[in-house]
Amino acid sequence: MIQHLIDGILIGSVLSLGAAGLTMIMHILRFANFSHAELLSIGAYAALVFDQIFKAVEPFFSEQIGAFSITWALFLAMFFSLVLTGASAVLFDFLVFRRIREKGDELSMVFASFGLALIIRNLIGLSFGLSTQLYSKDIVFATVFSRDPLIAFKLDHLATLSITLVIMLAIHLVLSRTNFGYSLRAVGENPELAQINGIDLKRTIIMVWFLGGGLAAFAGVFYGLTNQITPMIGSDLVLPVFAATIVGGIGSIYGALLGGFIVGVAANVALIILPSGYSPSVPFLIIIVVLLIRPNGLFGESRI
Amino acid sequence: MSQNQGYFTLKLITAISFIFCAFNSASHACNTKIGAVLPTSVDWGRPIAETAQFVVDQVNESGGVSGCNVEMILRDTQVDPKVGVDAAKALVDLDGVQLLIGAVSSGVSMPILTSVSVPSNVMQMSCCSSSTAFSKLAEEGGTNGLWYRTFATTGVQAAVGAKVAMDNGFKTVAILYKNDDWGQDLNRLISRDFSSLGIKVTNAVAINDGQPSYKAEVTSALSGNPDALYLGLYPDEGTAAVREWLSLGGTKNMIMANSLKSDDFRENVGMQYLNNAFGTDTASPRVASADAFVNLYKERFGKAPSGPGLANSYDATMIALLAMEAAGSNATGSEIAAQVSRVTDPAGTPITADVNGFASARNILASGGSVMYQGATGNVRFDEKGDVSAPAVVWKFTDGGTEEVEYMSLTQVDDFIASLN
Repeated sequence: MIQHLIDGILIGSVLSLGAAGLTMIMHILRFANFSHAELLSIGAYAALVFDQIFKAVEPFFSEQIGAFSITWALFLAMFFSLVLTGASAVLFDFLVFRRIREKGDELSMVFASFGLALIIRNLIGLSFGLSTQLYSKDIVFATVFSRDPLIAFKLDHLATLSITLVIMLAIHLVLSRTNFGYSLRAVGENPELAQINGIDLKRTIIMVWFLGGGLAAFAGVFYGLTNQITPMIGSDLVLPVFAATIVGGIGSIYGALLGGFIVGVAANVALIILPSGYSPSVPFLIIIVVLLIRPNGLFGESRI
Repeated sequence: MSQNQGYFTLKLITAISFIFCAFNSASHACNTKIGAVLPTSVDWGRPIAETAQFVVDQVNESGGVSGCNVEMILRDTQVDPKVGVDAAKALVDLDGVQLLIGAVSSGVSMPILTSVSVPSNVMQMSCCSSSTAFSKLAEEGGTNGLWYRTFATTGVQAAVGAKVAMDNGFKTVAILYKNDDWGQDLNRLISRDFSSLGIKVTNAVAINDGQPSYKAEVTSALSGNPDALYLGLYPDEGTAAVREWLSLGGTKNMIMANSLKSDDFRENVGMQYLNNAFGTDTASPRVASADAFVNLYKERFGKAPSGPGLANSYDATMIALLAMEAAGSNATGSEIAAQVSRVTDPAGTPITADVNGFASARNILASGGSVMYQGATGNVRFDEKGDVSAPAVVWKFTDGGTEEVEYMSLTQVDDFIASLN
């Protein structure tokens, strides 16, 4: 039971980061972006490539940071991956979504995002192969605090969880203290009024994509670090990430952050009651229950 | 002038058509298509497909089937039932094949059999599907006699897996199994075998593919502190689950199904954790025809056949093409399927599994006789459900691949299974 709770919080941190980016895009651009989870794949693979490059360039980077299995190379690669993933999100908007936004409606955007997700997934499969990849092949042993009931976690998990919390704090500060934060919320509320008040809509949209991509990159790397990297990361995570967004309430970044943890914990704890064969159904169940009880999610506001 | 030009064009066309005719008669006069639905996009699937193509090349070298060149149209299943059924449907509906080779996973072969092969009356021959669900379907008459496989049922592997646990003195075992036809079947069989040997199953946990994390499943399996872990998984989710298992302090005593005989799995988990991991697999009998296959394979591919299902893929394709030859030209799926017993007849003339063997089989079959196919997995004999039995091996990972720990002959396997029931 306790272990299921711990596991849920850990996977929840990945979902939170993914959902935070998704909810911003859904709020500002008003469409369900099914290709968002593919940004996690891009982030994970980009970090894998940079990690290899840094290790090859400078042997010092292969050393692990303290007691963690994260190497300096991977730590650095994470930030490079952030930039690359953010930039690809902006690029996808430029190539696909911006054009459809100008001509079509929101539904066309949803369909386009499906197509884009398939293209990204298969391109990754083509270039990196379909087999499992890992940042480090060494198995990191968990510190076991108790055998019965089982309580154990890894230092890496602690690291990813703390970085996630730091990122969340940073998001909070940006949203509540900076001009960008205000303009983001203004555009979300009413794009026309925001423009009248001198907010550069195009710039804000580019920033939102970049930020969403960057958060996804971190989520992807954390996922790769604690699980494994395959081209299917996006398709495996798309539902839980959507569930987290819906639970939190579309448009609410705080809601998405909390929603990630709720979905992660619920999916893990559910296995105590449900046979594990039914685990894929849990995100669906959460979505249905939330939509029935609170159609706008925990923190969402109804829209006219 | 223009009349002259027209005359010249006519001559040119005649000349070109002559060249074409010459080319055609130099090879074969016709082309027979067969379909193959195999997981070519995974590391262990490609060699299975290459082996099938190798057989087709040899049959063509010996003169083809019913005087026609055989063309094998290969489509990828991606180990996905939806993709597999689509591929099989396209092969049957668009290319008009009467014979399907495949698939590998039972979870893919089963929907292809029930929704494509049986409704379209196409023969299906699998190299590698081992679920007992097929035997059950055949008993109920659901396969219409169109289904054959050269891979022994999961029953053999489950029994040998239970024997490994007994031999190593494991008293309690947790099971992680893939949540598909094959995995559920394996779990059911091995749980029964464990309990008849007095070994307690602490927890049997289903693993779905495509899950964000297997932590919860592994945590459930860990409860009860079992002596050993039984793995009925594929390399992808197997790697994730085993790494999680080890990192949470789970035992290194593992028993693996043949599906984990993969270099990817060995490398990603790490040899240092696999010293006490035993694999099970069905094996080729130690007979001359099996050695002959190994030599042929080495000659063609430059290395020994080491992946799962290669010998079975070879025999599956060869027997299917022999049956096609026996059925004559333009035979339907059920006509081909009906001839399988004639080419694997224990009373028939023995033939080898190569170019010459196919040629001599052609002569015998043409004169109305029957042949006994002696192939890579020995003298293949199907029962009325389209199943075969097989000897078994216990294997371990080594730095460069796998090594055999124990060999059980066909009689030993059959006796052990009988002792369990």
